[in-house]
Amino acid sequence: MRSYIARRIGQGLLVLWLVSFAVFSLVRILPGDAVLMQLDAAAAPTPEMLARARQELGLDRPFMEQYRTWMSGVVRGDLGRSLITRRPVTQELVKRISLTSHLAVMSMVIALLIALPIGVLAAVRQDTAADYMGRLIAILGLSLPDFWLATVTITFLAIWFQWIPPIGFAPIWQDPGRNLSQLLIPALIIGARLAAVSMRMTRSSLLEVLRQDYIVTARAKGARERAVIVRHALKNAFIPVVTIIGQQFSVLLGGTVIVEFIFLQPGVGSLLLDAVMLRDYTLIQGAVLFFAVVIVAMNLLVDLSYSWLDPRIRYR
Amino acid sequence: MKTPRSRPIVPAVVTLVLALASGSTLAQEKAPRGESPDATSFAYAAPAFIKELDSRYPAQPPVPPAPRYGGVLHFPATVRTFDPTGGYRPELALVWDTLTEWEATWYFPDVQRTPVIRKTLATSWEMVNPSTWIFKLRQGVRFHNRPPVNGREMTAEDVKYSYELLRDKVQYATRAAVVKNIQVVDKYTVKFELTIPDPKFYLNVVDSLSPVIVPREAVEAPGGLAENPIGTGAFMLKEFVPGEGALLVRNPDYYLKDKDGRSLPYVDAVRLFFTKDPATDTALFRSKQVDLMRVATLDVLYALMKTVPDLQLYRVPSFGWGDYGVSMALDKPPFNDVRVRQALSMAINRDVVAEVINRGDASLYGPFPWGLAGYTKRADYSYANLGPNYQYNPKKAKELLAAAGYPSGFETELEWAEFQGWTFNEFVQLVARFWGDVGVRVKLRQLETATWVNKAGGSQPFTQAIAAFSPIGAGPSFMDWTYLRYHSSYPRTVNRAGINDPKLDDLLTTWRQDPGDKRPALQRAIWDHLRANVYRITTIVPPHYRISQAYVHGGGNPYCWFPGYCSYEAKTAWMTDKAPSRKFDKFAQ
Repeated sequence: MRSYIARRIGQGLLVLWLVSFAVFSLVRILPGDAVLMQLDAAAAPTPEMLARARQELGLDRPFMEQYRTWMSGVVRGDLGRSLITRRPVTQELVKRISLTSHLAVMSMVIALLIALPIGVLAAVRQDTAADYMGRLIAILGLSLPDFWLATVTITFLAIWFQWIPPIGFAPIWQDPGRNLSQLLIPALIIGARLAAVSMRMTRSSLLEVLRQDYIVTARAKGARERAVIVRHALKNAFIPVVTIIGQQFSVLLGGTVIVEFIFLQPGVGSLLLDAVMLRDYTLIQGAVLFFAVVIVAMNLLVDLSYSWLDPRIRYR
Repeated sequence: MKTPRSRPIVPAVVTLVLALASGSTLAQEKAPRGESPDATSFAYAAPAFIKELDSRYPAQPPVPPAPRYGGVLHFPATVRTFDPTGGYRPELALVWDTLTEWEATWYFPDVQRTPVIRKTLATSWEMVNPSTWIFKLRQGVRFHNRPPVNGREMTAEDVKYSYELLRDKVQYATRAAVVKNIQVVDKYTVKFELTIPDPKFYLNVVDSLSPVIVPREAVEAPGGLAENPIGTGAFMLKEFVPGEGALLVRNPDYYLKDKDGRSLPYVDAVRLFFTKDPATDTALFRSKQVDLMRVATLDVLYALMKTVPDLQLYRVPSFGWGDYGVSMALDKPPFNDVRVRQALSMAINRDVVAEVINRGDASLYGPFPWGLAGYTKRADYSYANLGPNYQYNPKKAKELLAAAGYPSGFETELEWAEFQGWTFNEFVQLVARFWGDVGVRVKLRQLETATWVNKAGGSQPFTQAIAAFSPIGAGPSFMDWTYLRYHSSYPRTVNRAGINDPKLDDLLTTWRQDPGDKRPALQRAIWDHLRANVYRITTIVPPHYRISQAYVHGGGNPYCWFPGYCSYEAKTAWMTDKAPSRKFDKFAQ
């Protein structure tokens, strides 16, 4: 088990290094740079002025030299300074991680609270009205892109209630009421897709398990239907659901980018989008690395959870 | 009064979930009531709506009653850093002053012909000769009372320091780069020596694209101005949250008074929201979380007036900012042939463009603003005066193309992007259709917005043609709007179209060297030359719409329609007792 975890951490570090190099290269392929993006439409600099500004930001140095400098900082925990605000990237990320974590966790909880009961209900009442309704909701959740859902939601909230989620962020342990009013609706939007995917997977996985011999045996022994579902079927049915949750977590994090942007929530997602638009290379690199670390860690946790769900699974 | 915060979240969530669960059809049915009115019905309703706007919201609105102190003003903004050395934004004028600024009065069109300059840090100026200017400074102006400056008096040394610090920064290039040398004559007098003679140099120091005055102690303190945002402005920065917003509080020692001798500003604080999405802006306005904003199109204005019927509107024709046009690669075929450019301009029906882009609520636009071309009325900027190159004539366009060697037309690429609610999507489709009618086959290529901004600004080359705004200038400065933009001696970042026309250069140089007597005639000659050569295909420019909540008064207009930049007169705005009660101890309420 320990050697498996060590090996997986090693693989994760390799992935992170590849991500760091890819993002460092890709942002520099994008047209424009931080100097150009800071110009107002009315500004009219000469090429010499632009060159001087690039020199101040270190953008005139060779690619590999810039990468080496940045990576040597990363391994020491220093992600560099934002090219726009000149503030340390680590500081900017730390301030915003709390909101994005709240949003991601809340989205996941909401998604599972919706998905699991409906998925189970749809499976045990296969081909009934409840099943059809569950499948319809799942298809809706899959079909509605989160950017569209967020735009429509904010517009109709403003028209119907003259209210939108308050701007800013209050941690749940400081002001639970305000935290919910700020994050509940964005979390619902982000969680919609995960809910739909998990619901469908729960239904199909449970249907498959319910056809297994041991379920027939449990029923033949006279176990009540609730006990058959809860004790014997659900745990085994959850293995593919957990896998899909792990896979969808990266999509969920992607959803935070656009939803934070539209609802003016100060998270890592909106920070990343801002940074991309302003070509703030160091900030993009830092934010992408943060997302990569979270996704790698999430996948490791998902893999480790298999042995808890099914004791027959052993790691070598 | 119930504040937005106290609105129940549960009914909102339940209703939304029910609405969304019932499918997207519901959203489509409801949409015409709100954000996007039904295109067909509104197209018919638009003329009556425009007439209603003309009568209900005159360009010069009624004079508001006496101001009331207090309140926290909210408006959307885009500020990346509160540091004038790190990037320019008009909102920086809340904290830092320039030597003078535009008096953002309501009066149109007088202000576009005869701008009113508010004497802020400078009280008078004198031209010794066109290359030497002397400015007298206001006495008793103090920087914000915060360490390390601690309310010290602003003097001529600060002006010299600030200009030397900022003149080479890219964002101040058009205003300050002509300053060769600055001398401190005495504590309250500075002398500017210029690299080129400029009899209108005083216009270069007016707005916040010219260097703001900063204290040396704050710049040299750890973290510089970003950590020590100290100026002489009406507001002091209390909190800046990058990507989210900022909170600024009233400067109790601000030196300017209103016409009745009352201290400015009237409001206790200003809260800026750094919004990025037009849907977010309108939702914030509807939910009364912002008090002022600009609206890009008549459609959005119509939708907002349906849901916020008591909003106040200021609607005024644009001087030139925000037009819809096409820049071409003038240095290569086929656009290096004047007949091709004329043909492409004639192929566009500008009336249809105005209808499609903004339901007809738009004015014609030519090479540069009407006030600089010597016209006394906006209405004189007409088809008749713009000439045949701006009149829809597909038959003549085809003849010109054939004469230029393109009887079967040619293929070209037109680049464009979405930008802050502007409707370039519709515009490029119209252009493609009109050009297609004369045989020019257009391939539309959508760019990411940031790339488009750079290409339209001349920082990166575009392939063949790009749909974009025209370059803009400061106030009625012909130097900014025209001289810099068309003279071949300037790089593409200034002369964006890369125009290299010896005759035009001669005219512009003669204009620059003239002390002033012949300038109006020369400006008209340059106008004639430009409208004949169509170096840029300009079409229409919509008016500027500024809306505010019913409880916000005064504040002048957002002066973006005049000098070209958008800011709000926060220092002269005031709010009635109907305004929502807002705290201002920190940014997030």
